[in-house]
Amino acid sequence: MNQAQRKQLVEELAAVVGREHVQHTPRALREIGVEHRDGDAPAWWLRPGSAAEVSELIRIAARERVAVIPVGTLARAPRADAVRKRLCFFVDSRRMDHVLHLDETSLIVHVQAGLTAHALETILAPRGLTIGDYPPSALNATIGGLLAVRTPGKSSPRHGFLEDAVLGLSAVMADGSPVHTRVAPRRATGPDLARALCGCEGTLGLITSVVLRIHRRAESRLLDAHVLPSFDAAVSSVRLALREDASPAAIRVYDGAEALAHLGEGVCRRGEAVLVVATAGPTDLAAVDRDLVASAANAMGGRPLGAGPAEIWWRRRTGHDDGPPPLAAALQIAATPGNQMPVYRAVLEAAESAGAAARAHASRFDADGAVIFFAFTQRDGEPLDDETLARIVDAAAEVAQAAGAIPLGYTNPEVNAYLVSLRQQLDPHDIMNPAALTR
Amino acid sequence: MVPTAAAVDAFGRDVTNLLGDKRVSTRETDLSAYSRDMWPRLLFAIRDGARLQAPHFVAWPESARETASVVELARKHGLPIIPYGGGSGVCGGTVPVHGGVTVDLKRMTEMSTVDRDSMTCNVEAGLNGERFERALEHRGYTLGHFPSSIYCSTVGGWLATRAAGQMSTKYGKIEDRVAGVTVVTGRGEIIETDELARASTGPNWTQLIVGSEGTLGIITSARLRVSLQPSLRLLRGFEFEDVTAGVEAIRRVMQRGLKPAVVRLYDEFDTFVHSLGSNHDNGAYGLDPKRFAPAPKPGGGALPAINRRPTEADDGGFFGRLVGSLVSGDRRGSRRALQRGLVAAALSRPRLFNTVAGAVAERLSRRGCLLIVGLEGSRIRTEAEAGLAFAELERAGGKNLGEEPGRQWLEHRYAVSYKMSKVFAQGAFVDTMEVASTWERLLDMYDAVKQAIGRHAAVMAHFSHAYSEGCSIYFSFAGYGETRAESERIYDSIWREGLAAASRAGGTISHHHGVGMLKAPMMATEHRDAMRIFRALKTTFDPDGIMNPGKLGL
Repeated sequence: MNQAQRKQLVEELAAVVGREHVQHTPRALREIGVEHRDGDAPAWWLRPGSAAEVSELIRIAARERVAVIPVGTLARAPRADAVRKRLCFFVDSRRMDHVLHLDETSLIVHVQAGLTAHALETILAPRGLTIGDYPPSALNATIGGLLAVRTPGKSSPRHGFLEDAVLGLSAVMADGSPVHTRVAPRRATGPDLARALCGCEGTLGLITSVVLRIHRRAESRLLDAHVLPSFDAAVSSVRLALREDASPAAIRVYDGAEALAHLGEGVCRRGEAVLVVATAGPTDLAAVDRDLVASAANAMGGRPLGAGPAEIWWRRRTGHDDGPPPLAAALQIAATPGNQMPVYRAVLEAAESAGAAARAHASRFDADGAVIFFAFTQRDGEPLDDETLARIVDAAAEVAQAAGAIPLGYTNPEVNAYLVSLRQQLDPHDIMNPAALTR
Repeated sequence: MVPTAAAVDAFGRDVTNLLGDKRVSTRETDLSAYSRDMWPRLLFAIRDGARLQAPHFVAWPESARETASVVELARKHGLPIIPYGGGSGVCGGTVPVHGGVTVDLKRMTEMSTVDRDSMTCNVEAGLNGERFERALEHRGYTLGHFPSSIYCSTVGGWLATRAAGQMSTKYGKIEDRVAGVTVVTGRGEIIETDELARASTGPNWTQLIVGSEGTLGIITSARLRVSLQPSLRLLRGFEFEDVTAGVEAIRRVMQRGLKPAVVRLYDEFDTFVHSLGSNHDNGAYGLDPKRFAPAPKPGGGALPAINRRPTEADDGGFFGRLVGSLVSGDRRGSRRALQRGLVAAALSRPRLFNTVAGAVAERLSRRGCLLIVGLEGSRIRTEAEAGLAFAELERAGGKNLGEEPGRQWLEHRYAVSYKMSKVFAQGAFVDTMEVASTWERLLDMYDAVKQAIGRHAAVMAHFSHAYSEGCSIYFSFAGYGETRAESERIYDSIWREGLAAASRAGGTISHHHGVGMLKAPMMATEHRDAMRIFRALKTTFDPDGIMNPGKLGL
């Protein structure tokens, strides 16, 4: 594409989204995490304000064979080597941040994909509504980004997985045409076609709006904590409670070292573990769920700590604690229920053999497992230097996987060929986020 | 894709070499048996003595590997493949429209022990539903999936059609109970779709396979989520002034975050019919409403032993009995002729019938609408949840009728008819239509569909399978045609107009029976432009188009 053609292209893009929403300078691109190197093909940061504008942009991209890379709030879009030589449209959804329809009878909301979950919560809260008991840290992303990228943790035992709350969605396909899946509580009319677009990272289509199930805000929220003889006992008590139908809003297990770091000295002895839980809903039911967890903890040799430690956890979780943050986890890894303890032990042993110390908490428990967050320090608790930390994290990740952990971003090799084929069917010119998923 | 004679012969030789002649059949009786499922429309043809399109072969593989080999052979020779489970589908999903090989999975019935950590069980697709549930029950677990077809359907059939059980409001539909499937794709490859703690990237392949009715591949096994057997079950009946009040009450319960296992609201006509068939003359409604139902008996679970001796209820409920009177053999000639004439006359004037029946039902029953609610699970949580649910229903205007209506429902809920052919032999027909929508549109959809069906047949409905955002409606209808052509015309009109009405009102055309051939013409209306994603999946998984042709509007 020569200079004149590029100029014409920019005019065309400006006619679609407005000149102020077409940016291409290296400085502008840096704002969305794109480092423009010498020799890279030109790229444009485009900020459409509607699904119709997205359609127009992708039609142009399809005609010119330009790569379309989605950008949300948290998702920085480092330009992969595979697309450095290709013209790129970085399509930023954040102007598409409107609630299109709120149906308070059915408790569903139709939102544009660029609205962050946190902003949606802010809109819903005054009406006594909520998106659900999802970890607040996940809510800073755009709704479209949350659904386009599948990672564990966007779930709660009480409200399930966020992608399961999708009742319908709209997207723009690789030829610029829109698709809309019909909204229904459940259906038996073939595969759930919305699930092709959730998790596809923009490779099959770009999500423009979503219809989500929402909930009434909990009438009560109760906090509780227990100390358990071991991390194993604490994790087992969570499983036991969930098996007995307990449906907490959130539940977390700290090993002894992590509990001391997060909840303060004296909360437990080293080698012990602390379980914190929040239950919510009608008061009677929230109390029952709290009691079910207490019974499970008791059955595993636990003793009650009262609500105090759980309140520390909850304040930090909801961003109401302005104390110094604990050392951030350096390794997050998902594990099915049966693999959680082997993974935990393997990582601790790996750190020990590297002359360091590891501590952990398990969180985001759901039907499929939990995520274990590991932090690494020197044996005396002092921070590790970056190089040593990186080395230990790599070694720990390796032994964790050998013990059955699932690295985030795992790709099922058996279905990869099918995804490649599906992409070829829906995106024959390979313009939709071409460096993602199957590359 | 009609296979050539040479292709059929060549496939026959190869598949017999693969499976042996005991597991491949070309016998007329087998081919005839596998030419249909329980789709009522096919009975018109049978009544008329017509011969249905049969498969060229029936094959019984015993493993995923063998199934894959059969698919490879079918690909090689260009034969259609029709997966077959229990044959209990009601939409023609297993009809071999171009012949081919029907692959019956009923020799694949293994199940693993339950993994107590993940609460999952690996089960092969051909296992009968009742046997699976009883095996789980014996070990202290339940799948929580109790379709009325449980005695004659298979795990694979449930997954292929996105089936729902009667207690789905707590346990979810089958797609909510599946962690992953093993599927032999139309390419003849075996893939597993397990999600691995949702750490996997890419689309959710399990949810793209489940519900595909064999058009993408053959599900050969699945990892299903199980629950502990409930230690307590509480049932109640409530009476509401009308459908609107009852629907609002269910909505309030669901949106408080409560999860009854079952909640069913019968419309006025269905309530009246329900009372006729429930032997309520013992004053059952007067039982002490405060008394809790006993816990499920040890080993008894939620699955009663099937009634070996047919009862009245086995005749297909009210419509079955009504239409059954057409064929009653114990009446004297003149009386029988009179009765038959009256029923035929009634069903031939459905608008008049519906108007009169509705008014009579309202006048005679004076009970408004009956709602059955049941909760089960661990004792402490179930008691608390039931207390909240019952109180919410009373606050919404419901009159507590005690446990007996719920008990009646529990005891008779599998009393479906397996004797429809006699009914159909006389030109009458009965069928059901299950649609769903969000709460905001639910009553509009109820009115629209009832009116559409009511132009052609006697119709009643109940609301069940509730969610916080909406609910399903289950319409039962009975019609009559003097000839096969007339019956088919009326039957087709009911479905065409009923589904169109549901769709126009913003609902979905199927909640849990699937699509098959019956609803295939409506798939474009249901999914509109999103059908292109389904077609792309089809080309990806079944590049030669051999998997269950003629279904799902592909």
